[in-house]
Amino acid sequence: MNKLLILLTLAICAAIIFFVPPIKGLGEVAKIIFFHVPTAWVSVIAFFSSAFFAARFLRTFNFSFDKLSERAARLGFIFVLLSTISGAIFSKLTWGAYWNWDPRQTTIFVLILIYGAYLTLRAAVSDERTRAKVSAVYSLLSVLTVPFLVFIIPRMYFSLHPSPVLNSSGRVEMDSIVLVVLIAAVVDATLIFIQLMRREIS
Amino acid sequence: MRLSNFLFEQVAAILRKDFLIGLRRRATFAAMMMFALTAVASLSLSMTGGFVEPKFLAALLWVVIFFAASAGIAGTFDDEAQAGTLPTLKLYAQAQAILFGKMCYVFLSLTMLTLFILPIFLILFNVAVESFLLLSLTILLGLIGIAAAGTLTAAITTSATVKGGLFPILLFPITLPIFLPAITLTELSFTGGAFETSSLIVMAAFDAILILASSILYDYL
Repeated sequence: MNKLLILLTLAICAAIIFFVPPIKGLGEVAKIIFFHVPTAWVSVIAFFSSAFFAARFLRTFNFSFDKLSERAARLGFIFVLLSTISGAIFSKLTWGAYWNWDPRQTTIFVLILIYGAYLTLRAAVSDERTRAKVSAVYSLLSVLTVPFLVFIIPRMYFSLHPSPVLNSSGRVEMDSIVLVVLIAAVVDATLIFIQLMRREIS
Repeated sequence: MRLSNFLFEQVAAILRKDFLIGLRRRATFAAMMMFALTAVASLSLSMTGGFVEPKFLAALLWVVIFFAASAGIAGTFDDEAQAGTLPTLKLYAQAQAILFGKMCYVFLSLTMLTLFILPIFLILFNVAVESFLLLSLTILLGLIGIAAAGTLTAAITTSATVKGGLFPILLFPITLPIFLPAITLTELSFTGGAFETSSLIVMAAFDAILILASSILYDYL
């Protein structure tokens, strides 16, 4: 599985460098989206899996779910940092500033804060039973902000961020080769995340 | 009907107990008020004479309320936790009654904090409020949200061994959906601009969600 993933990642990198044409109006720098979009996707997936395992823990009191919840949050934290940094670089190259509190930057920053708060909380509680309970409760509490961040903030503020692939108009405004490589990169990143989650259990 | 009445009595009893202890001890109230006063004074002092935009003022007001509230309500469950009486309290009263009693107490202390700091803030920054109704409604909804999320967060941080600064870190991301509309509405109450009722509805809806979620999640702590 590991070898397969390394091969897939290398293939995608090669495709990005050699096959994908420079993107209209943005040129070569826009290729950072092949890194930015998958990492952003995984950081959201990791957030929901952490909450999902937290809920499973509270229902069953099985500590392996707590471990999974923590692992997902740790991985999610790394991915959200990578995604934020790559996004900021892209923002500097296209909008001229690393940061301007665009709604999507606000959203991802809140995600960083939540991950950070969750991991700080885990570090601050020494008793294992209490730590598992308390962090599961916090994980579920923080999920409540998601609908707000996803549905309300983008309506309240104007955004410069390109619409996501699955936008409201339901149209895909991309070259087919770009789209194929992007989807492959997202799948690859998701598989890497799953593999890292599984490796910890065994 | 008898049962809900009973729950209400338990909530009232816990509120009364915490309020009496708070008044008798005074340290928590005093710390919270002095924290707010120090923050407002230092901000106002550093901007003497300069014009401050209403948008910035609105944000300052909520930053002061947030951090003063953090200083005041972080230890809501600490007394019982340190004395080891929380399990006993849970024997006498239902868990939900404890949560809602504490929540009411937190809301009450936040209201006292705001009644204290808001006039000082308005005077020191020389703010002319155009719509007191909007300002009061916004603050009311904001405080309900902080109280709902803050009570559960206080219950969470009580078990932490390292406490310094933990409470505001945990509370901020959760209450952000309250702060963003609250700051916009506060600014509009200063300037007198037209506001959308939908922002108030968003705040009220999120308050309701927070209260409900705290009630569900408290049972697992």
